[in-house]
Amino acid sequence: MKQAQQLPRPALLWIIVAQALLLLPHLPRLPLWVAGVYLLAFAWRVQAFRGRMELPGRWLKVVLALAAIAGIVLSFGSLFGVEPMVAFLLTAFALKLTEMRSRKDAYVVIFLGYFVCLTEFLFSQDLLIVVYSLLLVWVLTTALVAVHRPAGRLRDLRPLRKAGVMLLQAVPLMLVLFFLFPRIGPLWSVPIKSHTAQTGMSDRLRPGDVSRLSQSTEVAFRAQFDGEIPAVSQLYWRGMVLSSLEDSTWRSLRYFEIPAQERRAPRLDTEGDPLRYSIIMAPTQQNWLFALRYAQTARPGVMELNDYRLYSPAIIENEYRYEVQSWPDTPIEKELSPWRRGVETSLPAVDNPRTRALAGRLYETTDTPREFVAAVLDYFSNESFFYTLQPPLLGDTDMMDQFVFDSRRGFCEHYAYAFAVMMRSAGIPARIVGGYLGGEINPVNRTVIVHQFDAHAWNEVWLEGEGWVRVDPTAAVSPDRILYGLERAVAAEGSFLSDSPLSPLRYRGIGWINSMRLRYDALTYRWQSWVTGFDGQAQFDLLRGVLGEISVSRSLGLLLGAGVLTMGIVSLFLFRGARARRRPVFEEELLRFQRALWRRGLAPIAGETPGQLTERAVLRWPQQAETLRALYRALERSVYAPLPTSQDGNRLRRELRKRIRGIQFSL
Amino acid sequence: MSPGKKALIDAAVDEVATVLLGKESQLRLAICCLLASGHLLIEDLPGMGKTTLSHALAQVLGLSYKRVQFTSDLLPADILGLSIYHRNDHSFHFHPGPIFTQVLLADEINRSTPRTQSALLEAMAEGQVTLEGETRALPTPFFVIATQNPLEQSGTYPLPESQLDRFLMRIELGYPDAGAERAMLRGSGEGTQKRTLKRCIDEAALAAIRAAVDEVHVSDSLLDYIQRIAARSRQGGEFAVGLSPRGVLALLRSAKTWALMDDRDHALPDDVQAVLPAVTAHRLQPGGGFSGDGLALVALLRRDVDVV
Repeated sequence: MKQAQQLPRPALLWIIVAQALLLLPHLPRLPLWVAGVYLLAFAWRVQAFRGRMELPGRWLKVVLALAAIAGIVLSFGSLFGVEPMVAFLLTAFALKLTEMRSRKDAYVVIFLGYFVCLTEFLFSQDLLIVVYSLLLVWVLTTALVAVHRPAGRLRDLRPLRKAGVMLLQAVPLMLVLFFLFPRIGPLWSVPIKSHTAQTGMSDRLRPGDVSRLSQSTEVAFRAQFDGEIPAVSQLYWRGMVLSSLEDSTWRSLRYFEIPAQERRAPRLDTEGDPLRYSIIMAPTQQNWLFALRYAQTARPGVMELNDYRLYSPAIIENEYRYEVQSWPDTPIEKELSPWRRGVETSLPAVDNPRTRALAGRLYETTDTPREFVAAVLDYFSNESFFYTLQPPLLGDTDMMDQFVFDSRRGFCEHYAYAFAVMMRSAGIPARIVGGYLGGEINPVNRTVIVHQFDAHAWNEVWLEGEGWVRVDPTAAVSPDRILYGLERAVAAEGSFLSDSPLSPLRYRGIGWINSMRLRYDALTYRWQSWVTGFDGQAQFDLLRGVLGEISVSRSLGLLLGAGVLTMGIVSLFLFRGARARRRPVFEEELLRFQRALWRRGLAPIAGETPGQLTERAVLRWPQQAETLRALYRALERSVYAPLPTSQDGNRLRRELRKRIRGIQFSL
Repeated sequence: MSPGKKALIDAAVDEVATVLLGKESQLRLAICCLLASGHLLIEDLPGMGKTTLSHALAQVLGLSYKRVQFTSDLLPADILGLSIYHRNDHSFHFHPGPIFTQVLLADEINRSTPRTQSALLEAMAEGQVTLEGETRALPTPFFVIATQNPLEQSGTYPLPESQLDRFLMRIELGYPDAGAERAMLRGSGEGTQKRTLKRCIDEAALAAIRAAVDEVHVSDSLLDYIQRIAARSRQGGEFAVGLSPRGVLALLRSAKTWALMDDRDHALPDDVQAVLPAVTAHRLQPGGGFSGDGLALVALLRRDVDVV
């Protein structure tokens, strides 16, 4: 191997460090053996560098590659899908190290590293990941710099510094691209979440679903109100409306089940000032959006369904931001269509006979539907019902009979279910609403953080003259849940977040941990609203603000212009910085003389003195020998000889410049 | 500055050139070294004219000359001298060694032990020797011209870097070109070795020249250039050791002397470049990944550093 081709030792070290750091965030998603491949590749490459081992030959490499493919298929069951693909890429990335012989191969590894760095964003766009990726880019660039440096000491940190400076210089261009580069949709379809299920509430509800969700500490969404935040106990975030009961499972109405004339909800008349707030939702892989009732949004593409909830026809795959206005006191659907009434009172033919009988008995003791509602709620609060995160499993048939008469231990969905059944059996339209209740107010930035464990189910009952009225039977059983949240409601049980021992949410009692958590959350919100929330729509709005009318040529011109401008400013700055070094008198003129000769076709030679350059010029233009030598002599004296004190520096400078211009013309 | 100095120096160069043919650039460097009050190291194979050169230099400068052949059993006393008991007057008398001269040729300096080498090198640095508690000044001017054979390294003690640094310049003579060799062969019958050369520079002129060297003007631009060279030699993996401050001073002094020899009252980057290989090559050590020797490093310095 030629000396020039041999990789410098620090470069190899930087590449290995970069690879290890690149692997790190992927580790939880990878089978353990991939990490083993990395260690093997590192050891192999280092031993090869020390001359103890040979790098693998062609056949061994083929075997290794096949083994890697087989390993991925065995571990993931398939080679397709994002996770196996990324795992495959990472494995190949490690093996690439064992065929890295020359500088050229190092380029391949490093550039592949930049790509691998991007793959992390397929899984998370968290602020920490972004910061970490910037670090990775820094380390990779350092490796790139180190490849170009002669071998030196291992602990030489100059490449790190140089790479850092280079990246800082690239920041303006990064900003230009961030703001102006078109947000192009994926050119090919990537089945991104092949292994991760839908998260959050689903549109089917069986007893046990919500309580399972309540073990999750994930953030469902964050909301920021324009004015005062309403009382937490009034924050009923409606997500889906479950009107149909089949096989002990509640579900939303399908689009085609709704008669055509009722598919769109008429806009309601609203009075007074609405609550204004914006929501940034975590991706759910589902369609519905969460809002307080009666909500309207200006976001294009969001539909209002006939049961007065917001719906996005496109699945929410990324963080999703929308502005909402809500009028909580507006009555919904004062007039009920016959079809709607039929749907909202239907029950399976024979089901839960004891519960229905109980409803009948209670109904007979009351005069109005409103009194009946109160009677049922009284029944829940007076009888020995318990609110628990760990309800006993119920059999598949007559579930509510088992719950109301036998177990009497349930979570919100049990109460909502029982309540809806009892209302419907008395002929009163009722349904279950799923969503979240309350949230945590972050004092740092006044956002409401709604976690998955805030998931809740309640009811809406239709009353003559009032429309759909919210009734929360859980409140009758456990007022604490409504007023103070889930943690307090199940405090005696100790079941809150019992599955997440490490979540910072569990340590809210410890002041500084909680304060750190809330601060980080505020930072995340800011990040989401300013950076990851800057999507195609936001960019479109910005561009329209700047350009007025948007056309390809205008946008392209703006992009290019801004890019050239920022890089121009940066390079001007660098250039000035280099020139700002104080030049002793007249050196500038000597430089001009040199440049004039270079421009006239004498190629610069590294390390050539002006005197040598002049002699070359004399060979090239012999007829100008006198002038050239005389001018050089004058310049040489002005730069290197002591200047007579009597001489006027500025005049001499002007004269020299004139002579330089003169010679430039005469050559 | 009087133009007479350049004439004197040119005459000296021409005079030496009559015995060492075709080596004018090395001759000029050697004379530059002596005029700059530095010691000279000549590194070359046997028979290239090292001794001839040093003897001729002493003659044209009209200086006293002694030669010591270094061997592995040479002791410091053999160079510095020693006190011998005289029975007649029952006392010790100091017998000065060969070092008490103005030009000392230390032939094959790397053959002697470090102990002897360092005795010589101390004298070179201080201009004096200390024996038995008594300090004796060496005559002025005092030049050491040492020679070293780069081959046949068995049984030798190569000078360590710290001592190489004390030589202002190191030059290599190299084979003569065909024309010079022909002239030498033609003239060989006359016995060039035996011919005594004319004294060209007397002691007063030498002192005047040395004083004039100090007067040569050095502008900020030139200092910038020299500092850029030094900085380049101290960064980058090619260099294990950069230029020491002593090395930088040597470069400056040599460049000034070179300017004087060119009859100028100010030094130029051209002067720096002219003396750069001789002054710096033996002070630079290639670092880990660099395959070239000191001269390749000098080429790197010359190429990488902008003159203006």
